[in-house]
Amino acid sequence: MITEIIKRDGRRAPFEIEKISEAIFKAAQASGGRDYEMAQRLAEQVVALLDTENAVVVPTVEQIQDAVEKILVKNGHARTAKKYILYRNERTRAREMNTRLMKIYEDLTFKSSLENDIKRENANIDGDTAMGTMLKYGSEGAKQFCEMFILDPEHSRAHREGDIHIHDLDFYTLTTTCCQIDLLRLFKGGFSTGHGFLREPNDIRSYSALACIALQSNQNDQHGGQSVPNFDYSMAPGVSKTFRRAYRDNLTRALDIYLEVDNSEMMSKALLAETEEETGVWAAIAGGNGFDEALRARLIRTVDEETADKILRFVRKYAVKGTRRATYQAMEALVHNLNTMHSRAGAQVPFTSLNYGTDTSAEGRLVMECLLEATEAGLGNGETSIFPIHIFKVKEGVNFNPGDPNYDLFQLAIRVSAKRLFPNFSFLDAPFNLQYYKPGHPETEASYMGCRTRVIGNVYDPTREITYGRGNLSFTSINLPRIGIRAHGDVDWFFEDLDRKIDLVIDQLLARFKIQCQKKVRNYPFLMGEGVWIDSEKLDPDDSVAEVLKHGTLTCGFIGLAECLKALTGKHHGECDEAQNLGLDIIHHMRERMDEATRKYGLNFSLIATPAEGLSGRFVRIDREKFGSIPGVTDRDYYTNSFHVPVYYPISAFEKLRREAPYHALTNGGHISYIELDGDPTQNLEAFEQVVRFMKECGIGYGSINHPVDRDPICGYTGIIGEVCPRCGRREGEGVPVEKLQKLGLYRHLNADTIGYHGDINEEADRMVNPL
Amino acid sequence: MTKQFKVTEVNGVPVVGEGVGFERIRRITGYLVGTLDRFNNGKRAEEADRVKHDVSCCSMTDSRTA
Repeated sequence: MITEIIKRDGRRAPFEIEKISEAIFKAAQASGGRDYEMAQRLAEQVVALLDTENAVVVPTVEQIQDAVEKILVKNGHARTAKKYILYRNERTRAREMNTRLMKIYEDLTFKSSLENDIKRENANIDGDTAMGTMLKYGSEGAKQFCEMFILDPEHSRAHREGDIHIHDLDFYTLTTTCCQIDLLRLFKGGFSTGHGFLREPNDIRSYSALACIALQSNQNDQHGGQSVPNFDYSMAPGVSKTFRRAYRDNLTRALDIYLEVDNSEMMSKALLAETEEETGVWAAIAGGNGFDEALRARLIRTVDEETADKILRFVRKYAVKGTRRATYQAMEALVHNLNTMHSRAGAQVPFTSLNYGTDTSAEGRLVMECLLEATEAGLGNGETSIFPIHIFKVKEGVNFNPGDPNYDLFQLAIRVSAKRLFPNFSFLDAPFNLQYYKPGHPETEASYMGCRTRVIGNVYDPTREITYGRGNLSFTSINLPRIGIRAHGDVDWFFEDLDRKIDLVIDQLLARFKIQCQKKVRNYPFLMGEGVWIDSEKLDPDDSVAEVLKHGTLTCGFIGLAECLKALTGKHHGECDEAQNLGLDIIHHMRERMDEATRKYGLNFSLIATPAEGLSGRFVRIDREKFGSIPGVTDRDYYTNSFHVPVYYPISAFEKLRREAPYHALTNGGHISYIELDGDPTQNLEAFEQVVRFMKECGIGYGSINHPVDRDPICGYTGIIGEVCPRCGRREGEGVPVEKLQKLGLYRHLNADTIGYHGDINEEADRMVNPL
Repeated sequence: MTKQFKVTEVNGVPVVGEGVGFERIRRITGYLVGTLDRFNNGKRAEEADRVKHDVSCCSMTDSRTA
């Protein structure tokens, strides 16, 4: 006679036969049954079986469940037995997941990021800090919750087993990826961060401060990065306002000096107000708009011509000087802020990108010049800044060739990138970008989100094929190498299976979109509440965002084209033309399938060359377990980024770009190509420029050039450091004599026990020559 | 406050920088990362494998017709 059972945790509990009949009844219900008495009779048989056959006095939960299965099968309740087993398996999986989650939490808690790969899943989150770890607890817990309770079991299995990867799974039920923020519109009339209201800025310094605040606020409403598509155009009004004020202040001063009047302030105010009314323009930094001449005409009513000219020369000289200084300070502060201000519970700085390059106004040009110079100068101790990502838009007739109005800024961008790795370069003349470009409408200039995301085409509203206020909703990547391995050289099978995976991804993106559509404006106080996202300004806080989200993109990505081709043909697209042709066929097919889905659903489906940071290691780890180590396919610890020629493969820069460029045209959801340069590119700017120009010529949409940027924190040297620091001569981890540092002009402020690096003398010398 | 590095003595000579490494900034997936030890294992392996791309071997026109 059973009176007690042993629970899973080892404790004993009183035996209740009702629990068995209830479990059987539930399983029967799931397959259409409704006979509770039958369930009770079966439960009695279970008890009898336990009593006799096993002769167990105190059975465990598992033993009871085994007995239930036996009795169900014996009595011919096959369907109920199936449901019961399924339920039992699900519960087992849930328990295992709970245990796994707790194991993950244990590692997050007690292991440093050096020992724990999860803490380094995203290199821009510091997993060693309290808030960084808290963020990971939340993220890992949310992922498991979504896998168990939200995802369609088929999607969940495909993700778990590594056929596909659902990016940002932790945010599945919460928000969307990213947005191109039009600051011009946001600033008009001021805005609220959700925590306080900010007036419309009136000075370039407040323009830059508010730009940072906007990026920071939006970072908390979305799970991806933040980007400004029109940084030059957005900041230009700030420069105009600063110049107008500087003009007035210096006119006041000039009137004081040359006329020695008491009421100089009132006088200058009146003079400027009248001149503005007469001309309909403000004093402008570039001059040439008739303002100075009109003011002169007014002045010579009261003073002689010579004095009037002196006053005007004084005003212009110091107003220009003051505005340049203010703009430089504003841009320097922006770079510092974007590298230090916190978001997402303090674990990250906002992931920010700034697109610029095409504003040819004097104000926009000054903004770009100062931003680039501040970036070149580096942070407080001359360090290279990690954010923002700069994206310089290259356009023929605007900045590409000598004689173009912003050619000088293109040259400056090259110089800065050769030292600081940014800017990256985007190419508006690439045919797939040029097709949207309308001169005089910067919103039609293709803009990129730092990592590569691109949103411009718009099937939902073809009158607005623009970048402003739009972004990606979510994306999911396909594991191409696995399909390549499983095809065993059968290309037809490959395409069939690829289609199955694409179907699955489309289905899953739509399921996620449905969840995203249930959100209301109040779930995104900044993104939607402040009208950052396109058309959201027409909505009330309790309105659904379903309709406006349709401007966003649903995106399918891919990883490891190179390994996929290796598996299929034995060669990758960098080493063989046939492989390249097959590679193009594959990606072309994927793009066609996205276009087809776009037409079918009226939503913007797109294809992205996935920026796989965490994923590059995850897929190959699973595949190596499944298929073993296959040379050129699973024998490294990473799958190659999207359509890239493998990083280990020796190939010339030009050949690499030539082979990767056609994929840019196919990946309308975003793409990037990299070139690794040897040596110090600041010593060879021509080679650097040649690479950038070649990117444009061969149809690259977005590219960037990598080169080593090292820094010795002891002497502040920035550049290439091999084994020995070229400035102070120390090796990694080695000490350098204090005397030697002092001879180098470093360490002038000594104290007894410690010594500090007080800035980089060469950097500081460079900063003096900034034309301020 | 300025970051201070400890002065230690090696063979009676005061030195600074013992145990302090070099910072190496690299780009992964479009973002720069301040030091390599923030990379995950896969990306660390990828970074180690990277080879340089020669820019001197061919001119623009050559490779366009290639």
